[in-house]
Amino acid sequence: MSAESASAIHRNQVDLSDFIDWSGVECLNQSAAHSLPNALKQGYREDDGLLLESDADEQLLIYIPFTQVVKLYALVVKGPEEEGPKTVKLFSNREHMGFSNVNDFPPSDTAVLSEDNLKGKPVVLKYVKFQNVRSLTIFIEDNQSGSDITKVQKIVLHGTTVETTDMKGLKKVEDH
Amino acid sequence: MVLEATMICIDNSEWMRNGDYSPSRFQAQADAVNLICGAKTQSNPENTVGVLTMAGKGVRVLVTPTSDLGKILACMHGLEIGGEMNLAAGIQVAQLALKHRQNKKQQQRIIVFAGSPIKHDKKLLEMIGRKLKKNSVALDIVDFGEEDEGKPEKLEALLAAVNNNDTSHIVHVPPSPNALSDVLISTPIFTGDGEGGSGYAAAAAAAAAVSGFDLGVDPSLDPELALALRVSMEEERARQEAAAKKAAEEAAKPEKGGEQQPSSQDATMTEGASGSASEADNKKDDLMDDENALLQQALAMSMDDTTSGHDVRDTDMSEAATDDPDLALALQLSVQEGDKDSSGQTDMSKLLADQSFVSSIIASLPGVDPNDPSVKDLLASMQNQSQKKDEDKGPNEEEKQ
Repeated sequence: MSAESASAIHRNQVDLSDFIDWSGVECLNQSAAHSLPNALKQGYREDDGLLLESDADEQLLIYIPFTQVVKLYALVVKGPEEEGPKTVKLFSNREHMGFSNVNDFPPSDTAVLSEDNLKGKPVVLKYVKFQNVRSLTIFIEDNQSGSDITKVQKIVLHGTTVETTDMKGLKKVEDH
Repeated sequence: MVLEATMICIDNSEWMRNGDYSPSRFQAQADAVNLICGAKTQSNPENTVGVLTMAGKGVRVLVTPTSDLGKILACMHGLEIGGEMNLAAGIQVAQLALKHRQNKKQQQRIIVFAGSPIKHDKKLLEMIGRKLKKNSVALDIVDFGEEDEGKPEKLEALLAAVNNNDTSHIVHVPPSPNALSDVLISTPIFTGDGEGGSGYAAAAAAAAAVSGFDLGVDPSLDPELALALRVSMEEERARQEAAAKKAAEEAAKPEKGGEQQPSSQDATMTEGASGSASEADNKKDDLMDDENALLQQALAMSMDDTTSGHDVRDTDMSEAATDDPDLALALQLSVQEGDKDSSGQTDMSKLLADQSFVSSIIASLPGVDPNDPSVKDLLASMQNQSQKKDEDKGPNEEEKQ
């Protein structure tokens, strides 16, 4: 049953990294040498040696805007056993959050990552909460071992796009 | 030209009454703040700057980040000295003010003027620093005024906690006759902002070094006017220098003018020869007149002027020679004329008297039929000047052609 529903969800999912608006992507408290593209960008994230690391403490706040409206189904977070993330809170459509106000709003979803998740097993999200997502904020609250630095190898977002009008395809109608 | 939102934290505590910086610590600080605001807004028009005071009754935000320089300078007036500085609270309020900036794309920066002794302990400062770093806020610290035990270390620790890739800086300014603003101009607090800021700063520094209060306006009373006067003085100086340069150039021009004339005459001569032959014909007709004398003078001058004149002639002659041997002959003859004497009339007529030469020229004229009656008349008029023998020759040759 669960396998069926899992496969049903996975049916028409795509990797949403094509729809990320890279000009607006932000990551707070990332270390300069080990930054967000290492975990998010197609080429880099496959390399397990390239990590996204936190800087001053173990928390990370990642803001990802999309070029169009998407529906989110599942999330994959890969990381090392010890320093990989544990509690991950997701906020949809909240712009420019800071560490001070992450706890002011209830998250759209919370995921506590297990070892399997860290190896690549996707975390299925609350479908209803992510129907109309323009931007996603990922707040990594702590890591598995409680160390001062959180390390992330890969973040993948699975979902589908919502049918939106491609403005470039619109042609001007001549009035006669 | 980094897009930045800056909050400046001013120390207006009792410690600022001291006069070890001229005219007083507070004045020196105010000047420095004015300069920084100017530099920031100039380096990028979308930059915003805000100001808050850390002492007095409590931390008070005087103006939230704005790009309006006048507003910022205005709020610097009428500031009162008193109370004790609260550095931690000041930085935290500054951080909050930056968080609520209108343009979220701006980088966040706090500039702190730490003039009084610091009563917080190192740990607290480090925590604050880490929080700033976490929220990607850069911090610049100006350590001046009171030289307390452990103050530099505390501030260095704060900087180390905040610093991310050298975006944050600290400057220790000991008391000296130089103004605080002059010292700051050369620091990364100014120059770290890029080229735009340093341009403004350089102009201000130059003006400040020279004038001081010479402008007749006390900068503390009317900083905008003082600033405007300084800048306009610089512009005036630059303009005068440019004008002086032009004058020097123009003085040099008349000397060159004389040289240029003969070479242009040469050009016209050679053009006449190497161009269409009709032009040459006309030239010769003209040369019969007054201009002939002038031309001969020019030729004589150009012959004297060995460098330019000859070169022009030589190159043109070689070009002409390739085209038409008759033209080359003409050129040679004209050169010889120049060499011989100044009275050109007789030489010209000799040239024309050489009927074979004239007829060949006429033959090479496009669209001129030597047998045309008008042409014949023209020739006849020319021939009248020469000897009878040549006259006989001329018509015969023409009929042949």
